[in-house]
Amino acid sequence: MREFKPLPAQPAPIDEVGVIGWLKNNLFSTPLNSLVSILIIAFLASVLPALIDWLFISANWVGTSEAACKAEGAGDGACWVFVSAWMQQFIYGSYPDGELWRINTSLIALGAVIAAPYLLPNELRNSVGVPLFLVFPFIGAAFLDGRLFGLEYVSTDYWGGFSLNIFLAAASIIIAFPLSFLWALGRRSEMPFIKSVCIVLIEFFRGVPVLALFFMGSVMLPLFFPEGTNVDKLLRVWIVLILFMSGYMAEVFRGGFQAIPQGQYEAADSLGLSYWQKTLLIIFPQVIKISMPNILATFIMLFKNTTFLLIIGIFEILSTTQTALTNSNWLGGHAAEGYIFVALVFWCCCFGMSMISSNIEKKLDTSHRN
Amino acid sequence: MSNEPLNKSLSTDEDVIVIKDLNKWYGSFHVLKDINLSVKKGERIVVCGPSGSGKSTMIRCINRLEEFQRGSLIVNGVEMIEDVKNIEAIRREVGMVFQHFNLFPHLTILENLTLGPIWVQKKPKDEAEAIAMKYLERVKIPDQANKFPGQLSGGQQQRVAIARSLCMAPQIMLFDEPTSALDPEMIKEVLDVMVELAEEGMTMLCVTHEMGFAKKVADRVIFMDGGEIVEENTPHEFFDNPETDRLQLFLSQILQH
Repeated sequence: MREFKPLPAQPAPIDEVGVIGWLKNNLFSTPLNSLVSILIIAFLASVLPALIDWLFISANWVGTSEAACKAEGAGDGACWVFVSAWMQQFIYGSYPDGELWRINTSLIALGAVIAAPYLLPNELRNSVGVPLFLVFPFIGAAFLDGRLFGLEYVSTDYWGGFSLNIFLAAASIIIAFPLSFLWALGRRSEMPFIKSVCIVLIEFFRGVPVLALFFMGSVMLPLFFPEGTNVDKLLRVWIVLILFMSGYMAEVFRGGFQAIPQGQYEAADSLGLSYWQKTLLIIFPQVIKISMPNILATFIMLFKNTTFLLIIGIFEILSTTQTALTNSNWLGGHAAEGYIFVALVFWCCCFGMSMISSNIEKKLDTSHRN
Repeated sequence: MSNEPLNKSLSTDEDVIVIKDLNKWYGSFHVLKDINLSVKKGERIVVCGPSGSGKSTMIRCINRLEEFQRGSLIVNGVEMIEDVKNIEAIRREVGMVFQHFNLFPHLTILENLTLGPIWVQKKPKDEAEAIAMKYLERVKIPDQANKFPGQLSGGQQQRVAIARSLCMAPQIMLFDEPTSALDPEMIKEVLDVMVELAEEGMTMLCVTHEMGFAKKVADRVIFMDGGEIVEENTPHEFFDNPETDRLQLFLSQILQH
């Protein structure tokens, strides 16, 4: 019998691998491709050096006042002193100096609550992790307010800065998540009354611009509260954010529901599971998995929308920046530095959320499709 | 006949399913027409017929995956009425195996099997797992317990689906074309499990085109067409002496190849 011997493997041609291969395949594969590559490289070459110089090399990093950037011999680049001098305002708003630890504690607690599903053992995840998540906004708000815990009372007028953006977004998302799931379920319900109520809610909060909702929140929401009660502005904003977010998320969930094969419902039914068992044990986990990218997109949208609050006079990071820019000690035109800082802070957080969600997606992926 | 009071049903102690004058419409389309069928405990019934004949719809009525508009249905002594508790009570006694397996893709095989016992029958977790492993042994795939459904072949998935139903200790098993979505070489492993189940005395209603299976285990074979039960007989008579020309035509078509 003839024995089969495979041919020895030979090295690939030099222009297919390594740096040269990569350049050839990715940048210069066709004449048009080469032309575009050259134009882009030329553009970068003309812009980048000046930008890097302004951002880093000629920038002023040390100091406490605008004088540091105006002084003799100071670089003519970015004045990062503006950002560092206002840093506390940007992050904490006007929260009293001595009480900043409360904000820090709350931020850490938020991180812990988000990380809880990873840290807790499987059997505690639902029984401890979920309730922890749901009570966090209320405990956190009470803690920052202080009265309930016997701490110094800090009125919401003093809350502000980027921590407020984070807290508002997180608190809204946490409450909106279960609420929107209920709305989405209601919209699929066979009971006509529940169904029409949910459709009206979803379509209203999805169809009205968020800014209009904020204004309505300051004018209309008080009408629903008992007469004489003065409802905190921030609380009203929170409620508006929750409802707005729920409208969007409910539709995200609905898309997820529609992607679940009918057979999953039938299999759950045929086992004798009740409606809520079927919904929570079988359907919900699969809907979450399917909807994860869209859920994240909605989260990020809401998080960025918290900057709209500057319009109704809440001192979140963007309106704090604008206030700083009009401060009489800093009239040297530092808008670019301020907005770059705001953009950077938001970008970092949103990118972090992307990382977390892709991690969750991987964790949830049990399809093992190749 | 339809004017007779319902309590004068055909039910005896032995009848676990009694279907009487069952009628169903999809909108204005009449899918099931005056279906009458009673199944005794331990009886194995194979339902066959061309597609669109209403055979799947009929057995899906038995655990109320489909509603019907007229007639009565008694399962294990419980009359099917428009009531959630009643429906759930019937579903606990009736296991169902689907054409497309319908395993829960986000749960492991073991979790798929223990879900019903833990949440519906309120059994403790370790007891439920012991039951699950027992049935996984019976369908000969205990080693797959911690995998996810997506990692198993079609035949293995269908055997898991059968085990999942058995974990609920049902009185009746419904099979809705259990081998139609399988590759040919996997049909046998599923049929073997079903034959074994039949030999143990399980009451079975099986919609299938596996005529070999029908000949081997069925007590009665039912032929449906156009939403009606056309013919009903022992396998021997059914295949060798079909009474209606419609069944003769059907048999000649499916046995040709």
